[in-house]
Amino acid sequence: MKKDFKYVGKSTPRQDAFEKVTGQAKFTDDYYFPGMLHAVMVRTKSSHAKILNVDYTRLLASAENIIVCDHNDIIGSKKVGPIKKDQPIFCYDKIVTPGDVVCMLVGGDIQELLQSRELVDIDLEELPVLTEPLKALDIDSPIIHSENGNNLINHYPLRKGNVEKGFSESDHIIEQHYSTQLIEHAYLEPEAVIAIPLEGKKGIKILGSIQNPHTTRKVVASVLGLPLTKVRAVQAEIGGSFGGKDDTMNILAARAAVAALKTGKPVKIKFGREESIVESYKRHPYNLHYKVGFTKDGLLKAMKIDITADGGAYSSMSPFVTWRTVVQATGPYQVENVCTDVKAVYTNNPYTGAMRGFGSPQPIFAQESLMDEIADILGKSPLEIRELNGFKAGSITASGQKLVDHDINLITVLNEAAIKSEFDKKWQLHRKNKKIKNFQIEENNNFLLSHNEFVEPNETIQKGIGLAVSYRGCSLGAEGIDAAAAYMSVQQDGSVYLISGLAENGQGLKTTFSIIAAEVLGISPDHIQYLEQDTGIVPDSGPTVASRSTLMGGGAVKNAAEILKSRLKEIVLNFWNVKNTEEIIFTENEILLRGDETKRVSFQEICSLAYSKGVNLAVIGWYKGPNVHWDEETGQGSAYFTYVYGCQVAEVSVNVATGEVYIDKITAVHDAGKVINKLGALGQVYGGVTQGAGYALWEEISSFDGKIKEDNFDQYLIPTSRDIGEIEPHFIEGEDIYGAWGAKSLGEPTLELTAAAISNAIKNATGKRFFNLPINLEEVLLNRKLKPTDLKRGSTN
Amino acid sequence: MKSDIELNINGTAKKIFVEQSKRLLDVLRENFLLTGTKEGCSIGECGACTVVLDGEAVNSCLILIGQCGGSEIITIEGLEKDGKLHELQKQFIDKGAIQCGFCTPGMAMSAYALLLKNNNPGIEEIKEAIEGNLCRCTGYKPIIDAVHSAVKELNDS
Amino acid sequence: MIPEMIIKNPSSVEEVLQILSNHRTKNKIIAGGTDIIPGFHINSPRFTGIDVLVDINGIKEISQIIELDSYFSIGSSVTFSHLQASSLVREKLPVLYEAASGIGNKQIRNRATIAGNFINNAPCADSVPALLVYDAQVVVKSIENESIVSLQDFLEFPYKTILKNDEIITEIRIPKKNAHLLGSFYKLGRRRAVAISRISLAVLGSVENGIFTDFRLASGAITPIGMRFKEIESFILGKGIDRDLLKEVAVKTGSKILEVTGLRWSTPHKLPVLQKTLYQLLVNNFLENDEK
Ligand SMILES: Cc1cc2nc3c(=O)[nH]c(=O)nc-3n(C[C@@H](O)[C@@H](O)[C@H](O)COP(=O)(O)OP(=O)(O)OC[C@H]3O[C@@H](n4cnc5c(N)ncnc54)[C@H](O)[C@@H]3O)c2cc1C
Ligand code: FES
Ligand code: FES
Repeated sequence: MKKDFKYVGKSTPRQDAFEKVTGQAKFTDDYYFPGMLHAVMVRTKSSHAKILNVDYTRLLASAENIIVCDHNDIIGSKKVGPIKKDQPIFCYDKIVTPGDVVCMLVGGDIQELLQSRELVDIDLEELPVLTEPLKALDIDSPIIHSENGNNLINHYPLRKGNVEKGFSESDHIIEQHYSTQLIEHAYLEPEAVIAIPLEGKKGIKILGSIQNPHTTRKVVASVLGLPLTKVRAVQAEIGGSFGGKDDTMNILAARAAVAALKTGKPVKIKFGREESIVESYKRHPYNLHYKVGFTKDGLLKAMKIDITADGGAYSSMSPFVTWRTVVQATGPYQVENVCTDVKAVYTNNPYTGAMRGFGSPQPIFAQESLMDEIADILGKSPLEIRELNGFKAGSITASGQKLVDHDINLITVLNEAAIKSEFDKKWQLHRKNKKIKNFQIEENNNFLLSHNEFVEPNETIQKGIGLAVSYRGCSLGAEGIDAAAAYMSVQQDGSVYLISGLAENGQGLKTTFSIIAAEVLGISPDHIQYLEQDTGIVPDSGPTVASRSTLMGGGAVKNAAEILKSRLKEIVLNFWNVKNTEEIIFTENEILLRGDETKRVSFQEICSLAYSKGVNLAVIGWYKGPNVHWDEETGQGSAYFTYVYGCQVAEVSVNVATGEVYIDKITAVHDAGKVINKLGALGQVYGGVTQGAGYALWEEISSFDGKIKEDNFDQYLIPTSRDIGEIEPHFIEGEDIYGAWGAKSLGEPTLELTAAAISNAIKNATGKRFFNLPINLEEVLLNRKLKPTDLKRGSTN
Repeated sequence: MKSDIELNINGTAKKIFVEQSKRLLDVLRENFLLTGTKEGCSIGECGACTVVLDGEAVNSCLILIGQCGGSEIITIEGLEKDGKLHELQKQFIDKGAIQCGFCTPGMAMSAYALLLKNNNPGIEEIKEAIEGNLCRCTGYKPIIDAVHSAVKELNDS
Repeated sequence: MIPEMIIKNPSSVEEVLQILSNHRTKNKIIAGGTDIIPGFHINSPRFTGIDVLVDINGIKEISQIIELDSYFSIGSSVTFSHLQASSLVREKLPVLYEAASGIGNKQIRNRATIAGNFINNAPCADSVPALLVYDAQVVVKSIENESIVSLQDFLEFPYKTILKNDEIITEIRIPKKNAHLLGSFYKLGRRRAVAISRISLAVLGSVENGIFTDFRLASGAITPIGMRFKEIESFILGKGIDRDLLKEVAVKTGSKILEVTGLRWSTPHKLPVLQKTLYQLLVNNFLENDEK
């Protein structure tokens, strides 16, 4: 049955837009509390060292107003982590990466605190530095965390069929190596948190730019040795997160809390951009090795995949991130025989964790490059090869899951994207038009050109088109327990409080959830007041990650609204003295009885009636995903209970003289399930594609012995308003049974495809294929990266 | 050194006694509690701190208060007039130009400065006006649309 | 962190010179502040220990662009936005106009001044190649002295000029005889906007009857500081223009640059690209025009 929606699927402006556009919205640093102190971090210049001694004599002698906090102030857990507890709040035995903090200076005058940092004398014994993830498991490599025994964070095998047999049945076998870079979330608001000690024995309140208040609460409570109820974590407006304001923020919250309890005063920690980039975790660099066998008709027979992810100095979310990789490493293609090994390892590099995409952009870059390459070998088009192998209803994934019970829209999104972008025609045309010569720079000794190596101005811009497809498991999957809560309470005047256990990260969750509640109750979304995220109000619903908020949180909100609706219906039945609840309609702030014009009552009236009758109109809604399971040994199982599908087409202009790539257009077709807020959904696509473009072409944190060069926006280049041409989103709306009316996920799919599509487009434009991200100026012309040999800034080289 | 500085902020004459080498950004946020102006990089690269100084968009992280005596400054808090949103603000809301909102104040001020100079800018001019304002959330497109629509609305009325 | 300092706001050059002549304090001129303040932020040793900042923004006499009999006078505190908006600059000094338009972003151009740009003398200072091809001269004043030096002589090493602590630049002079020449500015950055130049080039010249009668070439970013290529300029004079000649110029320039800079990590990309883009710049400016 097609439902007519009143609010769902329309464009609804954000709930918090007014405050944000007038400058009234309060981000963490905009709060000030009387007596508040500041805290600054003390770090070393080392990437790997033993801490022999920390001496505060000079500091204490000269700075009376400064209070020091270090590991000695911690009563509870000194080390924390979402999976393995390997990350210290304050380092005490070792430094394992330059972001590490030994102690923190607390006081009223930031300037004084900053200047006093050098008065802390830290005695170190330098240790050999490990920065190369592929060497992490060598026996002679330095061990980062001795309690772990070796540098392996986790290893996920996946075995399906028999790859050897598959290769022997193949007409062609190709092997390729790909690599992706370390990148930064680059949320515009750097980290900030305030810890406020509460009166008497009430514990502590955390107010901050935190992604998952419940996780923050858990970490802070464990560090302080307090019960969860003594820590209240409240979210301020959050200036972007993209997966990045989790572990780092939890640790900062814990540090601030330790200082607040020690001083009895509110303590604020606020990072500048440099500090943010140096200490916060990033997206994993991957090394990916693919061996693929296929028949002369293009049918995939076998894939052998070896992936190593650089987890950096701490394990953080690596086990979860790489788990998604092992599930999705073959891409949305049916392959009989698969043997995948995904490992995450420790190094002294900045640590890596959750970032929008979460273990998918890397394998997608590899597998979608490969699919084009296979098509090339067989003289097929990128569309043909994907249509042949792509998932259809009933296909079996690499983990042996049969795809049923949801809209398997891969081929639909592929075709839609191809039509909308006129893919085939353009692809053929650009491929034929190739008359470029002298593109690859031949590296001779003197770097001087011979006359036939120049490029004429009218040949310098070459156009190309390329595409990439993906499937993505929604929510946590077998990674974790998947359930979410929402609290809703209707007031006597018909206005409604709503809050979900999932947190706003800037993506517009409050608005989406309000629309869902409004749709069910037939009231306008602006009658709903979304509450500030507060662990004191609503049950833990797991993290806002994995693009799960609309699906899981939306499901919970719908559930809450439906419970309320049924209670209100009871009231209405009695009020009108009728029997059949089916005939009662909630719409436009009114309640009507189908077929009886005289029966019409305002939502407000019924609410006040309910109130006077003592009916409970405050409920907790709950949504739990269907069970999924996973066999750790074989990598087989039903990884996720539902999936989304997407296809992006990139059109680029490549300057073959300079290596510049300009993105003319991205056509993005996504099956996100039901779209709840059109405006929000479009925003997710524009933003995700733009981040994906940055990943493809510019962004990279390069480290020297673990130290970061690109520690501010002069060096770390994210796209500006002038860097991308057009972005054209299209949605394919399925009719799934999960979540709220089948609303699934969108945030991450929008980002994960872009780099692969761009790479394929550059190939179409130039005839050259790329294996390493980012495809920057040097990569385009030389097929390799050129790296400065020191940390000097500017363009002097 | 501290000294008296007189300036006009959002249409009101103000006088403060303040350290001369304090950044305009910090004075706005700390002395005037105008916290709408944000800090994202401190080096002129992100535009979150953009305000309009004597009719031009500037980065308030790169200006010292001792350089501002006698100036007129407009911050995001000054766009709303008589309780009515500026057309730019309305369009930012309607076109989805705001996600996390951290870039929004600076973005709006750059757009506002553009409109002070040019009452009919095209798409390319809009892109140029906000090239110094990074946004990590929206991909710019809804922002450009919002400014474009505001231009149309303002010219139609 | 910004150190505590005294800020003075003189309203005339005379007053500035008075302040600068006080040697008991360490004084520093601040114009747009777009180099100095980021410098404070990263504790750059170039900007430490300053007692007095002399803000020259309020001085009218150095903030104008004027056409005089034999030269154009550009005030030292003219901003890049001002240059961009000046029809005189756009029409008569197109290379400078292009360079100004590509600097930083709107907010930066609204503050950053032309003199601050070359006084800072970063290799990637975009005004430098543009001013060099126009044979720009700078007017340097101290309380005792006033001198006029060519920009090339004014620039010494990266981040270093011959300017002394008690001196101010008041004006940049561009000989009017250069105003009829054709040319353009080229910049390669990693992004389309707000990009530090990795390569910058300025060319200026004229071709009559297929023969170069005037030619100037300057680089930035790819050489330690912006520089002119006098040997190459004289090589090309009087020669008939064709593609081979332009390629030869490009290769000679590449070779000269390699000689000046030696091998750097970026050479394998920058040097070939420099030659290719210089060639294209020359074709676009001189050959295509000539063929029309
Ligand atoms: C985000 C950003 C992007 C940028 N992008 C570019 C770019 O693309 N291209 C480019 O070339 N540059 C770029 N720059 C640098 C550019 O803004 C500066 O070089 C600027 O031109 C310097 O001028 P200013 O007035 O701001 O100088 P200030 O910082 O005020 O001063 C710089 C130096 O010049 C001295 N000085 C200034 N004026 C005088 C005078 N009249 N007499 C004597 N001494 C004086 C000062 O004492 C100081 O030593 C960028 C800067 C930023 C922050
Ligand atoms: S904080 Fe001023 S530009 Fe970023
Ligand atoms: S809306 Fe988040 S940075 Fe622009």
